[in-house]
Amino acid sequence: MNRFAFVFSLLLLPAPLLRAQEAAPAAPTGRIVGRILDAQSGQGIPQVTIQVVGTRLGALSGVDGRYTITRVPAGTVTLHVRLIGYGPKTVTGIMLDANKSTEQNITLDQATVTLAASVITADAARGSSAEALNAQKTATGIVSGITMEQISKSPDSDASQAAQRVSGVTVQRGGSLFVRGLGERYTTTQLNGTRVPSPEPEKRTVPLDLFPSSLLETITTAKTFTPDQQGDFSGAQVEIKTREFPAIRQYTLSTTAGYNAGATGSEVLTAFTAGGERLANVGDKRNLPSIIRSLGNFQGINLTQGDENLLINQFRNAWTPSAKTAAPNSSTSFSVGGNDPILGQRIGYLLSGTFSQSTDQRSGLVRALANRGDTPGSTVEQDRFEGESGSTSVIWGGLANFSTLIAGHSRLMFNNTYSRTADNDARREYGFFENEGFNARIDRQQYVERSVRSTQVAAEHQFGEAHRFDWALTSSGVSRDEPDRTEFVYVVEPGPGGSDVLRWHNSSNAGAVRTFSSLSEDNREGRLNYQLNFGALGRQHYIKAGALHRETQRDADTRAYAITAPSATNAIRELSPEELFDGRLTGANDSLLHIIPLAQGGSYVAKDRLSAGYLMAEIGLTDRLRLITGARFESDRLSVDATSTLGQPVGTENDWSDLLPSAALNVSLSEYQNLRLSVSRTLARPEYRELVPIKSRDVLNGDDLEGNPDLQRTRIDNVDLRWEWYPASGEVLSIGLFAKRFDQPIERVYRAAGASSRFIGFVNAESAENYGVELEARKGLAFMGRLFEPLSVFSNLTLMRSEIDLGSNQSAATNPKRRMVGQAPYVLNVGLAYASLSGNTSATILLNRVGDRIEAAGDLPLPDVVQQPRNVMDFSLRFPVLGSLSGRFDAKNMLDEPFKTVQGTVTREYWQAGRTFQFGLSWKN
Amino acid sequence: MRFPTLLTTRALALVFIGLAACSDDDPASPPTVDPPLGLQVTATGSGSIRVAFNGRAADDSYTLERAEGSGTFASVTTINAPATDGVVTYDDTGLNVQTAYTYRVKATRGSASSSYSSEQATTTLPLGAFTRTVTGDITANTTWYRDTTYTISGFVHVANGATLTIESGTTIKGDFNTLGSSLFVLRGAKIMAIGTAAQPIVFTSSQAAGQRKPGDWGGLIIVGNAVINRTGVEVEIEGTNTAAGTTPGTNYRVLYSGGTTPTDNSGELRYVRVEYAGYAPSVNNELNSFSFAAVGSGTKLSYLQAMAGLDDSFEFWGGSVDATNLVSYEAGDDHFDMSEGFNGRLQYVIALQTARLTQRTGSGSPSSDPQGIENDGCEGAGCTNGRNTTPFTSPVVANFTLIGTNDVATSGSSGGVGMMLRRGTAGFYVNGLVSRWPRAAISLRDAETFARAATAITPDLATTDLAVRNVLIAESPLAFQTGTGQNAFDLATNGITQDAALTTALFTAFPATIGTTTTAAALDWSPAAGSPAATGGLATFTGKLATAAGTAVTATAYRGAAAPGGTKWWLGWTIYAQQ
Repeated sequence: MNRFAFVFSLLLLPAPLLRAQEAAPAAPTGRIVGRILDAQSGQGIPQVTIQVVGTRLGALSGVDGRYTITRVPAGTVTLHVRLIGYGPKTVTGIMLDANKSTEQNITLDQATVTLAASVITADAARGSSAEALNAQKTATGIVSGITMEQISKSPDSDASQAAQRVSGVTVQRGGSLFVRGLGERYTTTQLNGTRVPSPEPEKRTVPLDLFPSSLLETITTAKTFTPDQQGDFSGAQVEIKTREFPAIRQYTLSTTAGYNAGATGSEVLTAFTAGGERLANVGDKRNLPSIIRSLGNFQGINLTQGDENLLINQFRNAWTPSAKTAAPNSSTSFSVGGNDPILGQRIGYLLSGTFSQSTDQRSGLVRALANRGDTPGSTVEQDRFEGESGSTSVIWGGLANFSTLIAGHSRLMFNNTYSRTADNDARREYGFFENEGFNARIDRQQYVERSVRSTQVAAEHQFGEAHRFDWALTSSGVSRDEPDRTEFVYVVEPGPGGSDVLRWHNSSNAGAVRTFSSLSEDNREGRLNYQLNFGALGRQHYIKAGALHRETQRDADTRAYAITAPSATNAIRELSPEELFDGRLTGANDSLLHIIPLAQGGSYVAKDRLSAGYLMAEIGLTDRLRLITGARFESDRLSVDATSTLGQPVGTENDWSDLLPSAALNVSLSEYQNLRLSVSRTLARPEYRELVPIKSRDVLNGDDLEGNPDLQRTRIDNVDLRWEWYPASGEVLSIGLFAKRFDQPIERVYRAAGASSRFIGFVNAESAENYGVELEARKGLAFMGRLFEPLSVFSNLTLMRSEIDLGSNQSAATNPKRRMVGQAPYVLNVGLAYASLSGNTSATILLNRVGDRIEAAGDLPLPDVVQQPRNVMDFSLRFPVLGSLSGRFDAKNMLDEPFKTVQGTVTREYWQAGRTFQFGLSWKN
Repeated sequence: MRFPTLLTTRALALVFIGLAACSDDDPASPPTVDPPLGLQVTATGSGSIRVAFNGRAADDSYTLERAEGSGTFASVTTINAPATDGVVTYDDTGLNVQTAYTYRVKATRGSASSSYSSEQATTTLPLGAFTRTVTGDITANTTWYRDTTYTISGFVHVANGATLTIESGTTIKGDFNTLGSSLFVLRGAKIMAIGTAAQPIVFTSSQAAGQRKPGDWGGLIIVGNAVINRTGVEVEIEGTNTAAGTTPGTNYRVLYSGGTTPTDNSGELRYVRVEYAGYAPSVNNELNSFSFAAVGSGTKLSYLQAMAGLDDSFEFWGGSVDATNLVSYEAGDDHFDMSEGFNGRLQYVIALQTARLTQRTGSGSPSSDPQGIENDGCEGAGCTNGRNTTPFTSPVVANFTLIGTNDVATSGSSGGVGMMLRRGTAGFYVNGLVSRWPRAAISLRDAETFARAATAITPDLATTDLAVRNVLIAESPLAFQTGTGQNAFDLATNGITQDAALTTALFTAFPATIGTTTTAAALDWSPAAGSPAATGGLATFTGKLATAAGTAVTATAYRGAAAPGGTKWWLGWTIYAQQ
């Protein structure tokens, strides 16, 4: 840490320290820190005088409204805050312990007719859901969010689980987000204000489970566009903010042990390891052997049988998952944060790390295809496979954030995050393969390693009351490696004596396959914003301008190899794979086995360069009416160069320039009620993989997938209207209406190829429309009597409809008019929270339900593949144990309802995740 | 920016040391130094040979050695290793005309040398002969002459209503080095390829004879404007659409759905042979030797042979074209594949399979379920009524001789059926001979298929759309396959006989062992004296069979593709070769 602090302090400008006036009492003292905020805009107010009543101590607020008052006598303290143009405010009852810091944020109301002074009492609970609601209340656009406190109260262990609590959010399998059911294509994710690259090859998504919940401060979802946001905002933007440092030095250490009702202590199917899987860092241990890699696509040369034997021997002889007893789940995390003087400069810091591992089992797995029934509209099941899977997962990561105030007018930040995950999956299935008419057993092992890194230097500068600058330089990257996936297929045949015999599917190029994939992406981004405040006090306006430049490069590569033995006898076919490939069939005189590079794969390089600038203004038309309007210009150059394993190179290049206007009108109906109207245009650009015209197998669901280099970006016109009412601290009621019109939306569709091959392609539909209503409510139950005081209920509900019109694009084999893929007609979250009056014990019970939605549009005349609604109920309890030790108990997925997708009458996919229970201890100092 | 990130990573990683007890399944394998792989030699002229092998950046150089005839090896040259892994080529020139040379190569890395690679030999070409390379699309009427050897390089489409006329005796080669090189005859265009028994038109691999392998090139694809039973969607030829746009000469999307003209005319093929086709331009999408997509009945097909293609020999997707005298020797997948409402009529049909093919490296692979005939009703997008979608696949296949490998091990993990009738296909299959199919002679699979025969074990020719009549079965353990979804017709009432005779005894000449030295002349498909194939045919067609057969198919008193004492129609223009 010292090393970081040292490196960091080198970045600081030598600045005169404008310290608060200080007295030197002999009595024990403490420190008060916090922010002064404009109650209407939510922005920090600089140049506010803060005085400790009864003393000569005080301070002026600096950048972003931040202030610090040191050496305040311990005890109960009263602060008096004043600035011309605002009503003065007195905050009483601030408890300050000796040698400790306390945090106190204060909002000021703009003075209207009279300068009425107000007195409030410091709230016992700080940094609470009330704070998130306050941010929501004062934000320019329409946002929803959840805070650190809510996250820690919930049973959520990572960001994806936490995000489900945000109004209108749907969490997908794999941890990616849908906002308002619009699909991940229309949802972007930012980490500390900077775009996070996606580690999934063909999806714009950040698997939020990369971010352990203990590292999060807030997750907010912005649903309306303002020109200072990136243009491919589309439908919504999820902003993850990592934790800042606490006011006083604080250590936390927590560990949990968990029990998975299906897995822990049971025999679970386990994939092979090569070393390093437990740290999600296998390095090159599972890489494609270099001699095979050197052969490229095997073209233009003539391999002899001896050559082929040599190559086959290079593969790790691991094909069959084993059954092992699953260990309990566990997690450990620590953090240290504080605010200490280093070389005379007070530097805030937060260092934190987390490690968790878990084992899951899915039994009763079912997957099947649907085929057309004999009568129109009917469906019949085909290729039904049943089986089980086991998965071992590891997540670790950490962050190191530093921040300092310079001379009260500048704030400098240095943020680093790094996170790695590994999933080692094994799956075994039995079923009937219709096309070739045999019973099959399929063994699969798949290892996926992902990482996300981000390093950022950022600063905010406040010059007087009028000028505010902020800038950030960010380097970030993601990787997704899937080294050495194995697939082995058996034909289950009746053997002598009537019992079944397992024989290798030796003559198929799906019989024994090894696949090696890697993807890495690097981003460099710089941004600069300037804000000018002006206008009469009490009716402030501001103008904001800024620019952003981002360069991205992605390299992706997939290679797959099949081993076949077209003339193997039954005696050989009955050998286990580990026997087949132990060298006995690849001797000098053997000529049985062949190695074939499969066409499913290839490589591509994507280069993306985005330059953007904007100008916007927020104008107080009247005391209650504010207009926010402006426009953003974005110019994007995206080139993708692809080479399929066996085909020719293909390239595509696009230059897209767009002007994106927006306007929003915020009406403050009363102090506690807002009405917001927003109109804007946004964009959605194709994912890189979607532009790559080579066919490969989808890494997620096994369908072949092919990109379309002719894809164009989508333009989206948005209208939002929302009414909000904040009846009391921590309570809210809001109703929102939204409508969107998509021009040339990109749809993931089945393409009609030959008889036996279905594959997923991408087309620009002609248009789509989406509209809906959102309701959010949070209410304390104190009104029902003293007994109910610790309880509050909360709920959010989104109802929506959409219709896509594929138009004349006949490349698609799907219904040309239907709901948009991935759109859910409703999302419901309901919860009941308990917080004991002492604040030490809390409990939450949460119920989540997402309406049925199209997972894939069916290829005609089949109906669409629909993911069924599912109720998920989680419970969490936090309770004091001893001293600074607290305990937690979490029960997740208590209802264990099955995950199910259907197509017509056919169950396409079915499994149960199993209930998990977790007990943990946290120590905090 | 990277520096602090790495530090962060390490700092964080330190935290977890101790959590990482290792007990992994196996350690990494040690690195090996190997000889160069994949040596390939190709005669490029009367005095030149191109040598290619796989080079590795990790090597320093390669020593190439050559031996003339049965002489001793001597060093030819030293070749530097490439900067990146990839194919290294060397053109060896100044060689003697029509002389055999053998090559080998070894790698040097520092002071160490590898052992020698495998040895590869070829013979330089004779003097003379015209050659022409065809690239791009053919959009105006064109004639190819027999004095020239044409090389199709890339995806050549006859388009824009043009007619490609090919003289008898012309040789056309698919370019091995331009992956997937194929000849497409698109809708509205025509091919007039009329050879003779003495001078057939031959499509083959550009590799030297002896080095040709299944999958060396794509194939011959004809697209017509007749009807298929998949509607409401666009259907493309499998293996096309690997290139965006419509740039001539690239593998752009070729559609065959939506046709409305059953009598459409795509030209004529007579005495045409397609060899070593079947390259797979995309995953599992091998091209067929002959592909007929929605080809109409105005097109004439006769005396066609497919030899050692990696996918099907003859595939018919919908359409109404008739064909006679078809020969398929060795296929990577099915010999005859009909689907999507095909209702043409085939008579005098021979299929012979003796082994599993070994394909060109990297071109795809032989199917795991090769069959003699594989007929599907409707499958895939656009089958409005599923397998009951009309028009049914309802061909008339008469006088067929389908010979399999007699060995499960060489029939694919799940193939090896003489006639696979499934997924609601209809049709009439009469006067055939099915032998040596190790899983079953016939598979009558799926309820919808059986429904075409009114679910009757003896279909009534007057009313049903599906019947199998007067078929001789030999050396097959099962007449009808059993198991999930399988059905069977009664043997006796349908004139189906399971004969004890060996295949070798059925024909005038059928070698006990068919191998690399077998030639086409060794195969005489006429029934041997006393062969049960000489009799037992359905000599009179009635009911729906008679209607479907019309004048295109003649009823015979014999079974199989050849009449006793009749014309040996396959003689002279067909070849047999294993590789």
